[in-house]
Amino acid sequence: MYAQSILTQLRRQFSERPRPLSLRWLLPVVMPLALLLLWQLVVMLELYPSFIIPAPLSVWETFVEVLSDGRLLMHTSVTLTQTLAGLLIGATAGMVLGYAIAKSANIDALLSPIIVALQSTPVVAYAPLLVIWFGSGITSKIITSALIVFFPMLLNTVVGLRSVPPDLRDVLRLVNASRLQLFTQLEAPYALPTLLGGLKVSATLAVIGSVVGEFVSASAGLGWFINDARYNYDTPRVFVTVLTLALIARLLYGAVTVLETRFLKWQKRSLDS
Amino acid sequence: MKRLVLFVLSALLFAAPITNAQDDSGAQTLFMTFIPNVQFSPVYVALEKGYFAEADIDLAIEHGDEPLGVDLIAAGERQFGLISGEQLLTARAQERPVVFVYEWFQRYPIGVVTSVDSGIETVADLRGRRVGIPGRFGASYSGLIALLSANGLTEQDIDLQEIGFNAPEVVCIGGVEASTIYVNNEPLQILNRAAAGDCGDITDVRVFAVADDADMVSNGIITNEETIATQPELVASLVGAFDAGLRDVINNPAEAYLLSLGYVESLPISDELRTTLEAAATEQSEWLLANPDATREDIAARRADLDTALRETFSDDDLIQFEVLLSSIDLWDADQLGLTEAASWEVTQTTLVEMGFMETPLADLSAAYTNDFLPSTE
Repeated sequence: MYAQSILTQLRRQFSERPRPLSLRWLLPVVMPLALLLLWQLVVMLELYPSFIIPAPLSVWETFVEVLSDGRLLMHTSVTLTQTLAGLLIGATAGMVLGYAIAKSANIDALLSPIIVALQSTPVVAYAPLLVIWFGSGITSKIITSALIVFFPMLLNTVVGLRSVPPDLRDVLRLVNASRLQLFTQLEAPYALPTLLGGLKVSATLAVIGSVVGEFVSASAGLGWFINDARYNYDTPRVFVTVLTLALIARLLYGAVTVLETRFLKWQKRSLDS
Repeated sequence: MKRLVLFVLSALLFAAPITNAQDDSGAQTLFMTFIPNVQFSPVYVALEKGYFAEADIDLAIEHGDEPLGVDLIAAGERQFGLISGEQLLTARAQERPVVFVYEWFQRYPIGVVTSVDSGIETVADLRGRRVGIPGRFGASYSGLIALLSANGLTEQDIDLQEIGFNAPEVVCIGGVEASTIYVNNEPLQILNRAAAGDCGDITDVRVFAVADDADMVSNGIITNEETIATQPELVASLVGAFDAGLRDVINNPAEAYLLSLGYVESLPISDELRTTLEAAATEQSEWLLANPDATREDIAARRADLDTALRETFSDDDLIQFEVLLSSIDLWDADQLGLTEAASWEVTQTTLVEMGFMETPLADLSAAYTNDFLPSTE
């Protein structure tokens, strides 16, 4: 107890001291800038023909062109819609089934072999089948995206729920807590960090699922836009689309990080106290 | 600072291009689209009969999609590929220095298939119908647009559905009323399913071939301008070896099928079929030796006779890939194999410009192709 109070006191003192000017906020932009410089260097040294690695300026001009004519936004909105729908469906299904598996050894034994087998199959292998079964429209892409999201969410749900210390569970049972109370007061808070970790991974995977579906067959979306650019030998447009996909994945990842910060405040507070 | 310099140097090292990927030992990679398939039998036959080896070419095969192949060849990381004419033009319009040196398919292989009961009796009847296509790219898309255009239609007149390379499945389940296909492949697969009662209500199909309405350039051998400038003899050697393989396939498809077995795992073959094809191949070789002046028509008649004889003994499942080979030969055969004509390139370019795949015609269309490397017909 004494040691704990000293630590708390030191932490307060430290937090009250004026901090030196930090340049840490610059770190996230250092690597992209370095890569941009390297890219420009490769172009200037003419290590590759411009149709293999176009100049950053050429990519920028294409970006402005496809942004201003509305094509980039249109295809982005298609991919984003599919991605978010797939993420929602896949994450929900993963959490529900994950809860069932974590709670029941029988369900675990029944479903785990199939789920693991399905997960170990690359999505590109069965994506063409999904197009045949569900058509070349948005449905097959959402399902592809949901399937790729499903497993990490399921796994993280199971791991999160099983990480609840048994003695805490026993304590709540001793005070006759209902199943709902057990879930809301103990299991959900305990599993939340793991779940959000899974959601972070899933958010980026959902983009991949959506694009894989579009690569197989589509008439819109960023995957289709890349294919169209490739068959038109428009390498700057391929670059623009790939960078857009990276940006979407990064934004989704960032959104989950914001959720994490918000929902896991209690953890930080309990740590601080 | 030293570390930064090291990092940049390392990155540049990794980024350094693989220049002149082909060495002087004769090792070459032929880039081909799709997957191993009996349609590539001219290459397999030329390999098996040592035509490439005789030309001091140690040939390896690589499969991938067309844009990748074109870019690898344009960048000099590969030197040869089997690529479609319209891809070559699109690529040249985007400053890829690639050149077509041998027209393998003399007839454009794309068409539209529909059930005979669909009510679609002419291309014009496609108006308002659901028509499948692998995607809005490549030879299928160009061919469809050319076919529609030749019949007074545009893409907007039909309900075009992107279905991937799944035409037999989607047609059989009624997902589309017609589909863009390779005339030498999917119609046979659909008929095969129909014969097995596995294709809905479809009993027979009708095919509208693009080649009947528009003379476009299809697949052939491409290389890059640098190879033509610095190694013209290599280009001639490779083209010559391929040409010899192609002639052998046309002349003796039974032999070609057997030689392709080592390359295409999925080719149907039973002991009985193998024995029959071996006998047919031997008989055809002897006939060719005895008839050195046999005409194209004579040889085509021999192929038809062989087909009829095989059909009497073997099932559709056994023969499906052999039938694909025979149908493909009809698209390859010509008085002069490999010859490419200016008129076909004009039609192809006009189609691409109409489709928006090319903003303007090439400044010099004739630089896109050459007949300079065709083997002498003597």
